Amino acid sequence: MSIKKQFRDGLIDNNPVLVQRLGLCSTMAITTTLFNGIGMGISVLIILTCCNVVISAMRKIIPNDIRIAIFVVVIAGFVTIVDLLLQAFVPALSASLGVFIPLIVVNCIIIGRAEAFCQNEPVIPSFFDGIFQGIGYTVTLVLMCIVRELLGNGSFGGGLLDVSQGALRLTLDGSGSGIQVFSSEYAATILIMPFGGFLTLAVLLAAMQFALRKADEKKEKALRAAKVLVDEEVAA
Amino acid sequence: MKEKKKSKSQILRLTLILFLVSALTSGVLGYTNSLTADRIKEQKQQATAKAYNEVLPFEGDYVEVTEFDKASFPTVDTISKAGEEGYVVEMTFSGAQGNITAVVGVDSSHKATGVSVISHSETPSLGARITEEGFRAKFVGAEEGTALKNAGGTIEAITSATISSQAIVDSVNTAIAAVVALG
Amino acid sequence: MLASVISISIGAILINNFIFSKFLGCCPFLGCSTKVDTAVGMGIAVTFVMGLASAICYVVDGLLRNLGLEYMNTLAFILVIAVLVQLVEMFLKKSIPSLYNALGIYLPLITTNCAVLGVVLLNVQYKYNFIESVTYGITGGLGFMLAIVLFASVRERVQFAEYPESFEGFPIALVTAGLLALAFMGFSGMKLG
Repeated sequence: MSIKKQFRDGLIDNNPVLVQRLGLCSTMAITTTLFNGIGMGISVLIILTCCNVVISAMRKIIPNDIRIAIFVVVIAGFVTIVDLLLQAFVPALSASLGVFIPLIVVNCIIIGRAEAFCQNEPVIPSFFDGIFQGIGYTVTLVLMCIVRELLGNGSFGGGLLDVSQGALRLTLDGSGSGIQVFSSEYAATILIMPFGGFLTLAVLLAAMQFALRKADEKKEKALRAAKVLVDEEVAA
Repeated sequence: MKEKKKSKSQILRLTLILFLVSALTSGVLGYTNSLTADRIKEQKQQATAKAYNEVLPFEGDYVEVTEFDKASFPTVDTISKAGEEGYVVEMTFSGAQGNITAVVGVDSSHKATGVSVISHSETPSLGARITEEGFRAKFVGAEEGTALKNAGGTIEAITSATISSQAIVDSVNTAIAAVVALG
Repeated sequence: MLASVISISIGAILINNFIFSKFLGCCPFLGCSTKVDTAVGMGIAVTFVMGLASAICYVVDGLLRNLGLEYMNTLAFILVIAVLVQLVEMFLKKSIPSLYNALGIYLPLITTNCAVLGVVLLNVQYKYNFIESVTYGITGGLGFMLAIVLFASVRERVQFAEYPESFEGFPIALVTAGLLALAFMGFSGMKLG
């Protein structure tokens, strides 16, 4: 399997959230500001890549009967490490994601990839799988954040960007209030609330289904056209 | 019979592997913890110290008051005396989504000198705006009996986040009452 | 004591429902809700595991705290939950095979149900005592059950509704769940005690 195909898989064809429908809880729960979305995405990307590599390296010695238990232990280990590191070096992110950092342990994406990919594939493809699936997850989170923040609060880049005295600043401690695109009085606050999480994800999934179906139809049409051509040739 | 024996040794082997993996993971975790523990502690202390200084600036040490009526003020965690300036009350109470930990400064004439939120899990852009300067500034100089505008008071609640706003109002009142009770 | 138990219960079932306000346990919620019967079974199994896990993890947390190993929380909790789920699975397979078959793949997946790990982590975060922890676990599970049963009943109807083709399957289910979440938001103004 080529790296290019893996990249396409992670981002589009086999996107962990939009196609495999894994890790929906965190996708809906924490996508209220861009800071949270990017922070969560990168945390999962790192944990996923590490777990993929380790599990793939151990795939020959893990007995089939207790593989899930071992996966869970390995994942919990990496999650705790990242949790401790975040608490020590990026306390703002750890505070704002709260219980959702330890909950990465039960994020189905990681155990799903371990089960579906890493236990059969060598280390290097597993490494890239982790990175690309992680990017796919992050991109989806970022999309959700942008939509919910813009329509729900009228702002962009909450926590990550800050405009003060006309200058744009990057705030890595999550203190920035974002760029106010339009007044939050006119925003649909409901999109920031749980309902907005469900609705935004529903619309994104529908858009993905629409796009995939269109792509399929196109392929089919091309196939049929080619077939007609062949038939005509045969007839001639 | 033979099969049973085999399955027994199999179970033993599985247990051993699982145990080894767990032990290895615990070892790595222990190491990471030893690297980060001090820093995490420091970060937490810094955040708390900053909050204390924000609500009631004081040069000396904040001395914790050990005797207060915990039964009457269950949400109060600690009360610290800032010399003659007044007291800083640290509290944990429930907001709209989860617990909020905040400190309230109360001066010697039993007026609030400020509020600062240490940790919370309120909704970003809504309840989370309790941490914003603009909202917190409304409590400077507040006296006991402060209330939101919709309850006949003077504090304007954050739009769509009445519960979080009310939680902060309650905490300020509790802090003042707890300090008054100290005498 | 009784007051805090009642306020935790109403909070966990209605005001801060695990699904509709905390987004915990969405995978089985969406995957296991096409039929009301299965949803009820899933709800009971999850409630049972959540209650039991809260009790055991309270003890485990106390133990780790005494040893100064709080950072091992997550690892210890997930292992306890995995063992518990295995026990429930064995029990169901022997005594209620019909339910065992209906739950299918979602039974072992209770291990990775974020509501279960979520409730034990939140117990620690909220510093609940033993009785409060168990109450929160059980009522959190009941809240999950209420959500999933309501959702399954609505979904059975949605099958006959007309909606854009692209929304077929998951998206329309999410919209339905969102509308239920909207209804549950009505409870958020409730304040007890």
